[in-house]
Amino acid sequence: MHAHPARPVALALAGLTRRFGALAAVDGVTLDIAEGEFVTIVGPSGSGKSTLVRLLAGLEAPSAGRLLLRGRDITGLPANRRPTAMVFQSLALFDHRTVGQNIEFALKMKGVAPKPRRDRALELLRLVRLPEDYYGRPVTQCSGGERQRVAMARALASDPEILFLDEPLSAIDYRLRKTLEVELKELHQRTGKTFVYITHSLEEAMVMSDRIAVMRAGRFVQVGSPEEIYRRPVNRFVAAFMGEVNILAVEGGVLSGLGLAVPDAAGPFAVLRPEALRLDGGALGVEAEVAQTLLLGSRVQYHLRAGGQALIAEVPAGGRALLGPGDRARFGFDAADIAWVAE
Amino acid sequence: MSRSGPLPFLRAAWIVAILACLYLPIVSVVLASLANSRYMRFPHRVWTLDAYREAVGFFQTWDLHLISLQIAAGVVALSVALGTLGAMAYARYDWRGRGLFRRLLVLPVFFPQPVLGLALLLSFTAAGVVPSWKTVVIAHAVWIVPIVTLVISIRLFGYDVAQEEAAFDLGATRLQVFREVTLPALWPGIFSGALFAFLLSWSNLPLSIYTSGPDTPLPVWLFSRVATNYAPLVPAIAVIGTIVSALVVLGLVGLRGALARLR
Repeated sequence: MHAHPARPVALALAGLTRRFGALAAVDGVTLDIAEGEFVTIVGPSGSGKSTLVRLLAGLEAPSAGRLLLRGRDITGLPANRRPTAMVFQSLALFDHRTVGQNIEFALKMKGVAPKPRRDRALELLRLVRLPEDYYGRPVTQCSGGERQRVAMARALASDPEILFLDEPLSAIDYRLRKTLEVELKELHQRTGKTFVYITHSLEEAMVMSDRIAVMRAGRFVQVGSPEEIYRRPVNRFVAAFMGEVNILAVEGGVLSGLGLAVPDAAGPFAVLRPEALRLDGGALGVEAEVAQTLLLGSRVQYHLRAGGQALIAEVPAGGRALLGPGDRARFGFDAADIAWVAE
Repeated sequence: MSRSGPLPFLRAAWIVAILACLYLPIVSVVLASLANSRYMRFPHRVWTLDAYREAVGFFQTWDLHLISLQIAAGVVALSVALGTLGAMAYARYDWRGRGLFRRLLVLPVFFPQPVLGLALLLSFTAAGVVPSWKTVVIAHAVWIVPIVTLVISIRLFGYDVAQEEAAFDLGATRLQVFREVTLPALWPGIFSGALFAFLLSWSNLPLSIYTSGPDTPLPVWLFSRVATNYAPLVPAIAVIGTIVSALVVLGLVGLRGALARLR
């Protein structure tokens, strides 16, 4: 679990633990986050990711473990004395204030004079691509996407060393979320800051992150680049968390549901991505009957039955006529497409 | 809806009728205060401001007001302090017994006030406390604190507690969080709560009558003088009392406006 070798460590988590009674919501988490890195912590609800980010921000104190910011121990420091900032899930904008007052809040607390405060707020409005005349507007009059940007600007106002983002896009509808994901990624590049992002959506994590940590029951199950997580999941949990996937049990070198022998079987379970199954080529293949056809735009998803085994295949939609329910076809794949997992 | 026809006229007449019913008793008190006879007969033979001259010169008029104002000020301070804390505990934290707290909280409101007043007097006597305007403050608080707590807690529903954490995360101290985030969010509730507390205390008779001892709040004096020894002085002092309370309310509203402009 080492950070990018070329860059210094911005934040080091060493055995971070938070217990609530007998339950350890965060259970000995260790990770080095590099300067300027975009790290996403992803997990289902109840996995402890929200508690973890509260520990990182200083809103909660760990039961055990240490937290080092650029080598300095900040474990005992409360949130208001940490040079980090957080964007909250509910955004937590100050409803009775204007956009400008929201953005300036951290500077006001620091005792910065009104004029430089205002200059900084206008600079941040430009950074998050909001018009400057939003400065005097009450936040209650802003749309969902605008509130999102105000929250980002407010968190960035005091130039924090690290920005924590706790599912800030969860309450936003799909299309706007897609736009904001890209904007967030751009903002990360423009500011060059270290971002630690929390989400339950691995799809969201994929788009934005340099590195992803998959969390389950208070521990990191796997930490790696989006590609590693996608191509080489360490277990069925991570594989299934990525979205729809085929998980096949292996017995004696044979994919038991399909009755298909595979060379070099390296684990009790084979993970096969839907897009690995294709209609032409492949050293291995199965005869399957289409149960359902779902057109997803540029791709088409087939729900298949091969013997007793249900399979999902996703192929490009263009080129040939779609198969309908009841049609039979050979779906091929290569042994290299399989990710072997032990549990 | 058509603007012509009898409908707008009927609607206006209905509103006027309601307002007339509301204000007629008050107008009658004003009319009664303009007589010079202790027997109520209308129209008066002589219209005079004598009762007001007497009331203004009568030291007890101002004594009554002072006592009632003292009590109301005490009740406002006590009920806003307790009401704010109670509302925050109720609306912000999920704790065991929270539902029970809510039910117990409003119970005194349903209790008949004369009985509550007597019960409080018995309790004070048992505890060896001599009744005075201070015991009235306690008695009023028993009845008014629940109401103020409810009024303030209405403001706290839909209040995102994460705002306080956000302020803390942005470098505010605990005190700054309260001043910059919690108080502004609560302020409208606290203000309405204070107004309620003042008006309910100012006009309360059944609790005061039992618990005031030698001190006489305004409503108690009015009640006893209407029952025995009536004179136009009584409605005159009632009118002065109404004006004083209206001025206090207007003053509070003006203060609120001035504070809002200051922010």
